[in-house]
Amino acid sequence: MAESHHASRNARLEEVRALAAFMVSRCEAAGLSADIIAELELALVEAANNIVIHGYEGREDGDIGLTVRIDAERVELELTDRGLPVAADALQPRPVAPDAESGRGMAIIHACVDHVGYHRANGINHLVLIKRINPSADGG
Amino acid sequence: MTEIDTDGDITVVTVDRDRFDAVAAPGLKADFQQLGPVRKLVLDLSRVSFMDSTGLGALVSLLKMLGGNGAMAVAGVQPPVRKLFEMTRLDSLFRLTPNVEEAKAFLNG
Repeated sequence: MAESHHASRNARLEEVRALAAFMVSRCEAAGLSADIIAELELALVEAANNIVIHGYEGREDGDIGLTVRIDAERVELELTDRGLPVAADALQPRPVAPDAESGRGMAIIHACVDHVGYHRANGINHLVLIKRINPSADGG
Repeated sequence: MTEIDTDGDITVVTVDRDRFDAVAAPGLKADFQQLGPVRKLVLDLSRVSFMDSTGLGALVSLLKMLGGNGAMAVAGVQPPVRKLFEMTRLDSLFRLTPNVEEAKAFLNG
């Protein structure tokens, strides 16, 4: 049975915690495993941090929307914002030196979810993160 | 945000936060910078249930602060935090130990 939940928060790092708590509560209610939820939470936090820091460049007058869609096979997180457009190469993991203090966010997102998609329409960025939760139902 | 104890020449820093994220990282990093000269450091993360890349960045900063003559071990990481170390391959940069006592033993070994 598919379900969908939506929340919107101010684009501040403190509010990223609220978005994460919202997503975690919905996934827990859907009965997802702690391991799956932990990876979804990490991917969501990294993506939302990027929106606050890079998309809005620290401006606090923007919003981040989050839609959580859960069905028997997957969880889809769609983040929306009106910040700067995201360059295609910024969505790919990039090599970082072991002693680098930043730059690991996209690699972490890719490690936590199965699909990362992005498009921009009418001035709104849409970042879609999909995690399969029932690989056996994947049809091989 | 942090508790600091010393045991001989080992300094034990306990992060007193359940989330080591972009909100907490700047304050914790500032706490780390107040430590002064330390040669052997145990960072106890047993109370941290969630960490993101900004938390990792603060740890890398702490490791660099110790310099070439310093040694550091990270104690008590919870499973989601351990997974973060593994997926970023920083488990090869940081010595992860189950608890503070084993971290001290590693640093004294």
